[in-house]
Amino acid sequence: MMSSSRSSLAFWLRLVLVAFIFAALEIYGRFYADPAFMSPPSGIFRAFVERILPEPKIIEALFLCVLQIAAAYGLSILFGTLTGLLVGATSFSRSAFFPIVLLLFAIPQVSLLPLVILFFGLGPAAKIAFGFSHGVFPIIMNVVAGMRDVKELHLRAARSMGASRSETIRHVILPHAVPSLFTGLRLGMTMTLLGVILAELYVSTGGVGYYTRLFAENYNPAPLFALIGCLAVIAILFNELVRLAEKRLTPGLRRSAALTNLVKE
Amino acid sequence: MSESAISIRNVSQRYGDAGAPDSVLALDDISLEVRKGEFVCLLGPSGCGKSTLLNVIGGLFKPTSGMCHVAGRLVDGSPHPDKIAFVFQESTLFPWYSIIENFRIALKFQGIPQSEWDDRAMQALKAVGMSSFASHYPDQLSVGMRQRVNMARGICVETDILLMDEPFAALDEQTRMVLGEDLSQLLAATGKTIVFVTHSLAEAVFLSDRIVVMSARPGKIKTIIDVNEAHPRSPDFMLEPRFSELRNECYALLRDEIRSTMAAQRDPQSAGA
Repeated sequence: MMSSSRSSLAFWLRLVLVAFIFAALEIYGRFYADPAFMSPPSGIFRAFVERILPEPKIIEALFLCVLQIAAAYGLSILFGTLTGLLVGATSFSRSAFFPIVLLLFAIPQVSLLPLVILFFGLGPAAKIAFGFSHGVFPIIMNVVAGMRDVKELHLRAARSMGASRSETIRHVILPHAVPSLFTGLRLGMTMTLLGVILAELYVSTGGVGYYTRLFAENYNPAPLFALIGCLAVIAILFNELVRLAEKRLTPGLRRSAALTNLVKE
Repeated sequence: MSESAISIRNVSQRYGDAGAPDSVLALDDISLEVRKGEFVCLLGPSGCGKSTLLNVIGGLFKPTSGMCHVAGRLVDGSPHPDKIAFVFQESTLFPWYSIIENFRIALKFQGIPQSEWDDRAMQALKAVGMSSFASHYPDQLSVGMRQRVNMARGICVETDILLMDEPFAALDEQTRMVLGEDLSQLLAATGKTIVFVTHSLAEAVFLSDRIVVMSARPGKIKTIIDVNEAHPRSPDFMLEPRFSELRNECYALLRDEIRSTMAAQRDPQSAGA
């Protein structure tokens, strides 16, 4: 099929581009760059194997980081979805409460970070709180938006069929909001990561942030980049998790298997 | 046949408070009797209140004044899903449910026992020739197929009365004609009472026993045209001179209404004077 050969071509093109960037970085890092500021990819990989993996404290710090993100994200999902459902339930509750959500979301939260640290201390609690306060808003906003955009015709049809208020919510309003919820969950994931890592970098006594600063201040870029690489992998894994959940749980996406069958027929 | 299925007495519908500047009188003192098993089309320019009237009959709107009885029961702004089913445009199918799930949910809302859901659904799908698409999702079907399914969903609830609100409006003309023929066949077999809203002249003549021609806002019944032709109707009916005559008669009645509506839209001041 044409589309499959096209997508495999796109895959190889992507691979070539990434390989090219790595090669360029390798050449620049080896022969031209100041070793105090940059390390070639091979050096970063060596640092990962020799300086990160054998260091149980760094592994522990990374593990703690994952736990903080998971905790902050879990809280964001729980409170974000519940608040979203309550605010979005009726047009009255929406017009009453949604402006508050929008106002809070508009505040640049970084300016509150010192306050968060003062309040929650230097440990994981502050990171979880900051990750939560970042992650919860996109979820609330998207749940509310999803419930608001339900089609008038669908509501009228449900009513004409004799659906009760709770049946309408369960079978019409909620399924309609699911794709929007997942948009919120994906944005919320990105924001949670941002919040946790910002708080880590701002102050940390033994977490990922502590080691990042340690390496940076000692002009030791190889392990620094290796650590940043680990954070990137964590971020990708969390995002993949959300994407998989979306694929499994969105009613509209379950059809993709059936659609493939249809095309094959 | 003389038994009345739907009885509308002096129904008026006003949006907004009377006297308020944005208040609109959508229906003005409408009275209409629809016999059992009759196919009635409401025909009129857009904005003449045909859909409003349908929603009043179906209990989705409460009329500002007047009364509407369906099967002897007063309908007063609350739906009677055991007696009345609606068919809207094809986009009313819930996109998050597969076709069969769309039927199940309609039957569930209507309060039909679960054991009957799948039998009834498959029977209705078979009637419109769509039974092999039960597990597809609406957006995997063409617009015409979706409307077939949507019609079947309205039929599977097995109400005596079917209200259809411009069900074919989103379809192209050819699909629309074919579905119209199918509908005529299908309904001749079931003996349902049908009120059908349309702004297509050919559709109205082809499907109806009686055409209720409505005037522009405020909606009033201008005249009622009888189409004496037995159901089910074949496409040959469209080639008969009588078909064109009726169609032209409807157009002559509507032309002035459409012009005055358009004039009102262009220049509200002069139309009011």
